[in-house]
Amino acid sequence: MLGAVTAISESVHFIGAFDPQIRTFDIIMKTANGSSYNSYLVRGSEGVAVMDTVKKEFSGAFFKRLELLCDYDEIKYIVLHHLEPDHSGALIELMARAPQAKLIISGRAVMMLKGLVKTDIPFEVANTGKVISLGDKTIEFLSTPFLHWPDTMSSYLHEEKILFSGDVFGSHYYDERLFDDEVGDFSYAFKYYYDHIMRPFKQYVLQALELYKRFDISLIAPLHGPVLRSEPQFYIDKYAEWSSEEKFRKHQFGKKMLSVFYMSSYDNTQKMAEKIMEGADSVEGIVASMYDLASLEERNMIDLLEESDGIIVGSPTINGDAVKPAWDLLACMAYLESVGKVGASFGSYGWTGEAPEMLHDRMRWLKFRLPVAPLKIKLIPTEAELESCFTFGVEVAEITMGKIVEMEI
Amino acid sequence: MVTIFLQNDNIRVKVPVDTTLRDVALRTGASMEFGCRVGDCTTCVAHVRSGMELLNTKTDKELRALEMLGGDVSQLRLMCQCRVLCEEGEVVISYGLQC
Repeated sequence: MLGAVTAISESVHFIGAFDPQIRTFDIIMKTANGSSYNSYLVRGSEGVAVMDTVKKEFSGAFFKRLELLCDYDEIKYIVLHHLEPDHSGALIELMARAPQAKLIISGRAVMMLKGLVKTDIPFEVANTGKVISLGDKTIEFLSTPFLHWPDTMSSYLHEEKILFSGDVFGSHYYDERLFDDEVGDFSYAFKYYYDHIMRPFKQYVLQALELYKRFDISLIAPLHGPVLRSEPQFYIDKYAEWSSEEKFRKHQFGKKMLSVFYMSSYDNTQKMAEKIMEGADSVEGIVASMYDLASLEERNMIDLLEESDGIIVGSPTINGDAVKPAWDLLACMAYLESVGKVGASFGSYGWTGEAPEMLHDRMRWLKFRLPVAPLKIKLIPTEAELESCFTFGVEVAEITMGKIVEMEI
Repeated sequence: MVTIFLQNDNIRVKVPVDTTLRDVALRTGASMEFGCRVGDCTTCVAHVRSGMELLNTKTDKELRALEMLGGDVSQLRLMCQCRVLCEEGEVVISYGLQC
């Protein structure tokens, strides 16, 4: 297939590489038929721009395709929309072959570039509004951070209305027919990619979509999977829908959702959970609910966590640790946005009682707001202790509703 | 004591002179994000809504990092580089998407 370099448009060609053998991507994603590392070459009247490279092991295919289209001394710019190694793997070799080329990266990519190449190489920083010219072709940059790394940016080729979206709108789906209207049904891979890569950054997705609105887009060229040319707005609308949907309908009426997740060995942590929920639910505007982690499937955990404004996790301490389902629950946050969510932890214990602090610490690293100290009670809660659980629930709920926390350090 | 109001988290915290804002984030459980923590990556960029004069001045290194973000950076600070300089007053900060 290397003899045929696919034209994306009049001046843009695909020079990426296909990886039909890969089955697990970035540890967290599965792909049933492989993926692609998309890279593009843009030709203008005064030179060439290479938009991203490929994973290092696939450099051979990338350079062969590139050489079919241009000489290295024609390359005026190398643009890296995102520095992850699957897109920057051929960078050092490309810069060695085209030393006159200017490397364009985002401001947030500067430190990452140094870590990646372990040497000083010249570069220019692009923020929203920066424009580069290839003579009769103009490329404008857009800062679209956190999609899915802090460094991510996008760019737009004005004359051909092409959006180079970085990882946004990508799919781990291998099909050398390349275009969305020619490949097989990749809709599941498109959604799966969104769920695993973009869902934790929904607010940033919406921010990027606002920037994209400035442009008339006739084709989207992402960094993985099919090139989207049949109806780009369809894919943009899907991202908008997934990033703004709220399953918890009461949010629409100004209510906030607080979920108490727990596991209990001898009903003691459960009794705490019930009282905490009762306290939380007594706060105006809060709808509190409780869930036994012993019977909650992962996909339901993810949905509940996503919709919850406040999340309280309870676990007894067994062998000096919180129980596995509590850790499994918090592991689901890898798929979600935690910024702004209020967290808290609690548990009954017999001997050492580390679990609530351990959960609290884990939630801190997950960037929850944790204004209330963990609550732990030795064995069977007394009436007075259950009252402290009620107060704990009230306090977390009030903060979830916007009460200002006063502290001194 | 200077009061620091962390807008995103609705936390109002009193701190003594010389406290770093990184320490404030750590000890209050605020949701600021940090990356390199040495003033290179700009992940912890924040908008100082008021009270800039109560903080240490930007070093050349911090200024260079902020300028890479583009636009007007006069009210922006990197939280990992900030320290409270004064004995009293209020600093109001927002961060992340509200930056």
